[in-house]
Amino acid sequence: MIVPGAAPLVEARGLVKHFGDGQGLLAPRRPPVRAVDGVSLTIRRGETLGLVGESGSGKSTLGRLILRLIEPTGGSVTFDGHDIATLSKSSLTQLRKRMQLVFQDPFSSFNPRMTIAQVLTEPMVVHGMGDRAGRIKRAKELLDLVGLPSFALERYPHQFSGGQAQRIGIARALATDPDLIVCDEAVSALDVSVQAQVLNLLKEVQRELGLSYLFIAHDLNVVRYISDRVCVMYLGKLAEVAHADDISERPRHPYSQALMASIPSPDAHRQLRTPLAGEIPSPRRPPSGCRFHPRCSQSIDGCDRDEPELLTIGSPSDARSVACHLFDPTSAR
Amino acid sequence: MSIAISGTARAARRPRNRSGLVRFTREQPLGAIALFLITLFVVVAVLAPWIAPYDPLAQDRVNLLTAPGVGGHLAGTDELGRDVLSRSLYGARTSLLIAVSTLALGGAIGLVIGVVSGYFGGTWIDSALQRVMDALMAIPSIVLLLFVAALLGPSVRNTVIALSLLVIPSINRVARGEMLRIREEPYVEAARSVGCGTPRILIRYGLPNLMAPLFVMGSLLFAVILIAESALSFLGIGTPPPTPSWGRMLSEGRSQLEIAPWMTVVPGLILSVSVLAFNLLGDAMRDFLDPKQRR
Amino acid sequence: MLLYAGRRLTYGLLVLALVATLVFLIIRLIPGDAVRLQLADAPGVTQAQIDQRTAELGLDKPILTQFGHFVGGLVQGDLGDSFDDERPVTTKILERLPATLELGLLAILFGILLGVPFGMLSAIRHHSVVDNVMRFLAVIGMSLPNFWLALLLITFLALWFGWSPPLVYASPTEDLGQNLIHMLLPAIALGAATMASIARMLRSSLLEVLGSNFIRTIRSRGASERVVVLKHAGRSSLIPVFTVLGLQVGHILGGTVILERIFAIPGMGSLIFEAVGQRDYPVILGCVIVYGAIFILVNVVVDLLYAVIDPRIRYEGASA
Repeated sequence: MIVPGAAPLVEARGLVKHFGDGQGLLAPRRPPVRAVDGVSLTIRRGETLGLVGESGSGKSTLGRLILRLIEPTGGSVTFDGHDIATLSKSSLTQLRKRMQLVFQDPFSSFNPRMTIAQVLTEPMVVHGMGDRAGRIKRAKELLDLVGLPSFALERYPHQFSGGQAQRIGIARALATDPDLIVCDEAVSALDVSVQAQVLNLLKEVQRELGLSYLFIAHDLNVVRYISDRVCVMYLGKLAEVAHADDISERPRHPYSQALMASIPSPDAHRQLRTPLAGEIPSPRRPPSGCRFHPRCSQSIDGCDRDEPELLTIGSPSDARSVACHLFDPTSAR
Repeated sequence: MSIAISGTARAARRPRNRSGLVRFTREQPLGAIALFLITLFVVVAVLAPWIAPYDPLAQDRVNLLTAPGVGGHLAGTDELGRDVLSRSLYGARTSLLIAVSTLALGGAIGLVIGVVSGYFGGTWIDSALQRVMDALMAIPSIVLLLFVAALLGPSVRNTVIALSLLVIPSINRVARGEMLRIREEPYVEAARSVGCGTPRILIRYGLPNLMAPLFVMGSLLFAVILIAESALSFLGIGTPPPTPSWGRMLSEGRSQLEIAPWMTVVPGLILSVSVLAFNLLGDAMRDFLDPKQRR
Repeated sequence: MLLYAGRRLTYGLLVLALVATLVFLIIRLIPGDAVRLQLADAPGVTQAQIDQRTAELGLDKPILTQFGHFVGGLVQGDLGDSFDDERPVTTKILERLPATLELGLLAILFGILLGVPFGMLSAIRHHSVVDNVMRFLAVIGMSLPNFWLALLLITFLALWFGWSPPLVYASPTEDLGQNLIHMLLPAIALGAATMASIARMLRSSLLEVLGSNFIRTIRSRGASERVVVLKHAGRSSLIPVFTVLGLQVGHILGGTVILERIFAIPGMGSLIFEAVGQRDYPVILGCVIVYGAIFILVNVVVDLLYAVIDPRIRYEGASA
């Protein structure tokens, strides 16, 4: 339930993150890894924004930049109107209450020495929420919300299955009643049948609590199932941003098209219209011009020279943003 | 409710500790024997005043330098007529006291340095601390002990201080190594994302997860301390008389090597067996706790 | 490679400098004036005498000045003069160093000569009786305090063979035969732990390599077991043995102190022991620094040897 016209919850502008510049004196000089190279996006309240891309596209880094678990090299992130980069340490801790993260591998995201009760109540303890009895009560409520029995509280993480552990991860993320949850490949490590259960749980929780999600994954199929809008990311930059249905039916960017085409489908016509050639290049040395051009089957003259900007195109009912010279009326032909 | 465990769960699992002792005995029989010996050592050391047949300082003028079994002295007597067995038992007491104190003091300091160093690995804090540790380790142990104990003078307290300097770098190395690994674990990132501050992370996420290798190192260090303390006492710089100490007994026995070898053999044997036991236990713990998951 | 060597050496020097500084600070900062302690036993010592001695030894100047003198001297190889007999510390150390080095080297030699074959044998016949016996002996070897082992050996030889180690030390140049006999027992006592360590390390390393794919390939080509072990597996499994040596050097150096005392060998170990008894701080300081330098040097050499054997190390070492 996205509130139309309301101020966005999260606004990222020109986010940049380079790793590996400024090494020790004697390390060989190498160009930095340009994990995120100028990304702007918004997440509205109650919305699920999908973020899809291959490994190495920088999507996990982007998620962490938004949560300020990593410091950006450039750009800014605004959460509920506050620029999170300027926050003091205590304000940042306050902020952590409102945005949480669900990890890809649930087991390694839990301290093996902590019981589930401790795992769930820790966020509350850190933020000074309630007293001991109140926290246990809330922990039980959280378990109930994600569909787990309350005697799970005394168990240790390794005693659960993947799907159950991921539910606990979601419960932990909900403990502080956040406004935003970043799901970083939250279902990628699960068996397919379990994936559907967890995705439905996420949707249900969102419906009940009105949260926003930033759903990061490499599987477009999963992403479009749960998202309202989808961002497609390639090598540190956004290729396309559109509504979930639009991305599926009418992908515009050649990369989006290739991603869609690679989804197995019984419909033979959809297969292999624009096959994806080659491998993703190293983020240390992105190709010149449009980063996708070496693998693009529709590249034109100029794609290897100028980087395309993310431009809004289309009619109001089909509004979307694409970064591709094919759709840029001003690019030279 | 049966909790089905899927494939991904196995990778992250650690053995539970409740049935651990039983499993330990089954898998590491040598280690179990060692553990038994060590328990024996501790019990004997603690109860020495009650189980020693004679007062360790009492001189039996009738039976000087008597062989084991003669005159009611199970392990013989030394040149002053003191019962070797009783002195050995009390020596165990001294050694236990010193070793435990040393591990506590040196272990605490080494742990703090290692944990802080590891968590802030790569920064100047880490570099500075580790250089100091390197300098400490560059001096061979006995030399270092001589140096410090000589400066401070012989006493039990000073021996503990000197021996702690031996312990600190080893504990530091283990703690730092583990912390560097733990720091990269997703659960630390999860803790930060939940809002945990650094102290909380170090105490609740760092410490509990590095206990296992720390115990292994602790056992091995116990052995080192036993030997080092004896060496110091042997040289006359460690535990001062009249407190019974294995090292000094060995030193006293040296002048009577051909006449009364038991003065040297008995305390040395007990010392060696204790050291052996701690070494075996450390090895067994290491094997028990570690490679299982790799297989 | 040269770059790596340079970095490693610089690092070693840095640590040595730190050792020297630490030791200097500790000595100067402990309570208890060196002079007072020295003159404490002499009857009727006046304050004037104390002051005079203090000034003589330069202990009345501010710490920084003293440190400056110390560093200045150090760089030139001058470690000051002994409190005891006023001779230069460096001279005294150099007199004693050869005996200690000889003892240490003999111990290491003993450790290698016995440890390597034992380790190999253990690995080749692993899980056999021979192997288990050797492994047990190895653990025992590592657990026995070296001075106790020395005493045991002396007792054993005295009681059963009526033989005692010579009381007077002869340098190798004077009487090589007697020198070696003199050094035999302490070298064995000292080297036992090293032998045990090497045997254990070699065994596990060899077992690992022998089970690896690359050895399987060589075997499948029909090479005899001996060739497999000696030529191919041997080389790669020797690497961890160097680690052991690097670690053992510390123990060996430390062990020389006690063993020199037991066997009346005039080496650096006895020197530092005497100096401690006399509160001869310059000598103590000098000995600690020299011991530290030897240890650091050996480790640098071991690291460089590693880098020669395993090229990965040279390049990985770039990003510390």
